[in-house]
Formats: sequence, C-alpha cells, structure tokens
Amino acid sequence: MFNRSVQDSRSPARDRTDERESTTAVRLEGVTHRYGSSGGRFRSGDERTVTALRDVSFDVPTGTIVGLEGPSGSGKSTILHAVAGLLVPTEGSVELRDTDLAALSDGERTRMRRHHIGIVFQRFHLLPSLSARANVALPLVQAGVPRSDRRERATDLLEAVGLGDRTTHLPGELSGGERQRVAIARALSTDPDVIVADEPTGELDTATGGDVLELLTDIGRDRAVLVASHDAATLSVADRVITLRDGRVDDVR
Amino acid sequence: MSDETDELPEGVETRRRTRWSGLVGVTLARWRQRATGTTVGRIASTVGAVALTIAFLLVVTGIALALADGGATSRDDADVRITPTEGSTLSSVDGVEGPRLGATNERAGAIRSHDGVEHASPVLVETARLESTDGDPRTVRLVGVVPDGESRTVAGLPTDRLEPGDSHYANGSYDGPRNGEIVLSRTAADRLGASDGDELAVSRGPMQSNETAVTVTVAAVGDAGGEGGEGGAPIALVHASELQSISGAADGQLADRVLVWGNSDTAQSAATDAYPDASVEIAGRTDPTALFEDGLAFATSVIALIVGVTICASFVATTMGMTVDEDRRTLAVLESIGVPTRGRLAVVAISTGITTFVGSLVGIALGAGGIMGVNAIASATIAPGAVAQFHPLFVPYAIAVALLSGLVAVPYPLAVAARTSVLSEVGR
Repeated sequence: MFNRSVQDSRSPARDRTDERESTTAVRLEGVTHRYGSSGGRFRSGDERTVTALRDVSFDVPTGTIVGLEGPSGSGKSTILHAVAGLLVPTEGSVELRDTDLAALSDGERTRMRRHHIGIVFQRFHLLPSLSARANVALPLVQAGVPRSDRRERATDLLEAVGLGDRTTHLPGELSGGERQRVAIARALSTDPDVIVADEPTGELDTATGGDVLELLTDIGRDRAVLVASHDAATLSVADRVITLRDGRVDDVR
Repeated sequence: MSDETDELPEGVETRRRTRWSGLVGVTLARWRQRATGTTVGRIASTVGAVALTIAFLLVVTGIALALADGGATSRDDADVRITPTEGSTLSSVDGVEGPRLGATNERAGAIRSHDGVEHASPVLVETARLESTDGDPRTVRLVGVVPDGESRTVAGLPTDRLEPGDSHYANGSYDGPRNGEIVLSRTAADRLGASDGDELAVSRGPMQSNETAVTVTVAAVGDAGGEGGEGGAPIALVHASELQSISGAADGQLADRVLVWGNSDTAQSAATDAYPDASVEIAGRTDPTALFEDGLAFATSVIALIVGVTICASFVATTMGMTVDEDRRTLAVLESIGVPTRGRLAVVAISTGITTFVGSLVGIALGAGGIMGVNAIASATIAPGAVAQFHPLFVPYAIAVALLSGLVAVPYPLAVAARTSVLSEVGR
C-alpha cells in the first residue's frame, strides 16, 4: 500500500533505534485524576469533582503497541493526555523515558512533548490553511530545523505514508484517510519515542481504517504506541490491550 | 531529559533564529491562505476597517496640512519658496510674528540674475488699518511684493496690476519715489467700500490708527477670477519696499519669505545659494513641520490621530479577538505538537501585525484617493484650490499609526489565545 516503510523515514541525525530496544518508554504508577480538583483560586472548595482515573498502573515498552479499550468516560483519553503531558494527574506519576512529567514545569513538559511524543487525533486536527507538507513540517519549526531540511523531511514522510503526490494539497482537498495519514506523518516528524493515538480510525471507513492501522503497526515496530479505541479491528493490531472501566484497569490481555 | 541546549549546544542561537523565522514564515503562509481562501471574509473586514480609519486619518491630516501651509496670504503660483528656518540665527530675525528673512530685496535681486530664474520677490505680510475717505477704518493684511509686470499671483491676487519694479527701494536707500498703489481683494474692497482709483489712508497697525502718514490709490480689486477675492480674507497687495518702510522692516530688508519663479531646479539652486540656512521648498511640496506651527491644524491632526488610533485599535481588537476565538483549535494543535505559549502568542501577534500592515497599505491608497476626491469636490464647489494635501511622509506615518493601533489592540486577541484549553479543543 505505502511507498516504503515509515521506519525508513527516520531522521538520520536522530537515529535512536539501539537506545530504544528493550526499554520502558512509558510507565504509569498509581495514576489518579480528578477533573475539577485542580481549579483556580476563585473556585469554591466544595465544587463537584469527577474522578476520571483511579490508581492506574501499567507500562509500555519500546516496540510495543498497547491498546486502551473501554466505554466512553472510562478514562482512555485521560490516560493519553497524561502520557502526552497535556494534563498532570492529581496523584501518581507518569514517567516518559524515566522522567516524571509531573515534576516538570509547563515549558519543560511542552519541550518533552515536542521531542518525544507524537499525537494522532481522531479528527486529524490539521491546520486547514497549510499544505500537507507544511502541516507535517510544523513540529519541526519549533524544533528549530532549517526550512530546507523541514521540507525534505516532510516530503520523505509523506512519501512514506503514500502521499508523495499530495504534498502541496490543502487538508480540505484530501480524503479522510489521506488526512489521517498526513496527521500520522506529522506525529512522526520529530522522530518521537512514543505515539499516542486517540481513535485513529474513528472517522474512517473500514478499508481506509485498515490502511491507517497498517501504518500504525509499522510505526510500532520501534516505538511505543498507545492507541485508544472502541473498535475491535483497531485493537487487534495491539500487542497488549488494557480494558478500562470507571477509571480503573479492569483487564489486561 | 532532553533539552534544546543539550542537543546542539553550538547552534542554540542559530536554532532560535531559525525557529522564529519559521514561525513568521508559517504565520505568513497561513495568513495568505486565509486571506485568499479559507477565511477571506474575516480578514477582509479587518483589513477594510483598518484601511478606512487610516484613510480617514490621512484625509483629515491632509486638510490640516493644507490649513497649516495655506492661508490666503500664502496662496501663490511661485515655483520655489524660501522661508526662515526656525532657530536659524543666520537667516532670520526673531520678531513678534516669528523669524523673518533678512536682506531680502538685495538677495531676491541676486536670485533674479540667475539663468533659468524668471523672477524673485520678497514677500512681507503685515497687518494694517486702511481707511477710505467715506468709510470706517478696517484691518487688512497687507502683502508687500516686487511685481515684474508678468502675470503672477501672490496672496491670491494678481501682481501685474501693480506698477512693475519697486522704485521706492532705490538700491536699499528707501528714498525712491513711491508708487502708492494697492490691489485689494474683493472682501477688503467690500469692507472698505472702495473701488478702483479711490484713495486709502494707511496706518501701521490696528492700535495706532491715528498715526496715518501714507495714502495709497486702489489700482485694482481682485475680481471674480482672482483667488484672493473668493477666499473671504481682507488682503491687499502693495509694493514691498513701501510696506517695509511703513512697518519698519526696511532696516534689515526683512520679509516673511522670498518667492522665486522659473525652472524649479535652477530656482532652488539659486535660492539655496542666496539663503543657505533657510528652508527652500519647491512648490507642491508642503513642509509637514508646518503642522506643528499652526495651532488649529495641529489640534485637528492630533484629534484625527487619537480618533484614528482608537477606532482602528477597537476594530482590530474586536475582529482579531473573534478570529482567534474561532481559531482556538489551531492554537490547541500548536500546543499539542510542542509549540510553547510564547510561540503560540507570537503567531497571534504576527497575524494581527500583518493584518494591520496590509490595512495600512490599503488605507494609504484610499487616503490618497480621498484627498484627491476632497480637492475635486472643494474645487467644484467652495474653494479656489486644494484644501487637502498629500505628503510622502504620510506613508510611514500611516503605517506607524496602524502598527500602533495593532499594538494597542493585540492584548485582547492574546488574552483570548492564552485562555485556550488544549484539552477542551482537541478532545472529543
């Protein structure tokens, strides 16, 4: 399906394959999170809180795809956001390559996310006024990569996901599956150690979703991939599936 | 953990520059795409609002500039004007009406001797009281000139109605025969109840009406074709040396300015030779510093500036705030891919800056068109000539005002951007 493996599209300057082997990329230890509990100074003390996660612990080794399943509100997205450093859990620790994200400042977490995390959203979230190539190159802008290198890297990644002929297209000119592949290419642009994907096939038909899953499987060979989904086909590519219920780990298989 | 400085310690500064130039480039590309496709309406309305306020500012400032530069006594058809530079000790004598040029009759003569210069004349403006035999004394602005018999206009009145030359000057002795002629503007003639051939008594100033010593004969009254008659100002032309004698300006051969007719470049060169420290201005180019010297014009332009900045900033703040509000998802995506708060706010600030800059460019074009339109309407209806002027300095002025407005406005879109929650925007 794709022109070449995304594994071949790795940035030569940042090839960390050896380093990644047999290491734990992500570790959650006793993670509990309550929404509404970290409010500002003007919030009343008796404000109602919602507990999204209760004492969740697991780890994701490099080279492993871990699936998260469970009904809506079970805490799947909260785990992904905690791993991505977009939220700090109320209790417990989330370690990314042995660094506790909760101990970092907002700026340090943002930097950590930039270098080590790639996020794939259900609704793609591409910038509509930028071309596919510019969208893929976007994370490299903040990384300080020169323009010519950004373009080269983005073009390589788009070719790797089978969109070499769509580099100058705007997201509005692409199909759903193509947009998600652009989003995956964007997530890979900084050559991250961990990919988190929230319902990556949720907006796609079965055939297109299959292509995206093939891509994710390819990515998962040398990265830690965390996929949240309701979809059995998506979860089938996972090496391990964690079932969540009411914010707790209900089952691991 | 990995840190930027850990990865490329020798290139931190280079990377910072690359990062910022990249952010500016992405913002520019995004703005261009949005302005021409994805959100053309919003961008166009912001640019339009900025352009209209800038155009309004330029038209009002153009009118103020014309007001400061003009006045009925300044209306002439000379090619070059020499005026005293404020504070110049070499070319001016400070008097109650500001600095004046010295040795004007003599140096005007020197300027006239240059090839390519048709004529040069000192121009002295004094307030005096004129009284006809059967009327009340009236205050009139007397404008002293040296006529040469050619058809020229000074203070909106024709100089060729005066006897050519300036016989009373007599090479600086001021003892030559007086011509005793005066050309009245229509308004002056009406107020005095005077007509051609009437004799008028001249006193030096409004407070000294009893010291009448000189009489002049009305040589002409500015007719309907004369600009001075239509301006409504009581003005009259007399010979320069005679006015200098009456006003006491003869000692230093003082005048408010020297007018030169002829080829602009030659006349400018001759004028600069004669008055190296004075301001030499080619006709059609107004000195914008005149705005600061005229109270009404200055107040008008300052009010236009304040109103312009206020309206412009309000429009920019509102429309950019709404744009950012619609754009929260983009900001959330930027955060999710690791762009820090400073970078995200920079994207918003740069977008606002681009919008106001483009608005200012459109506004300059509209303002220039507006000034031409105002002049066309004024010429066709009430005014004899231009009532608004465009100056090249308006271009940087308009851009600076627009960017200032953007600067005043930018905290609001920044505040909207800073309140964006990545989880609520990218979550389901």
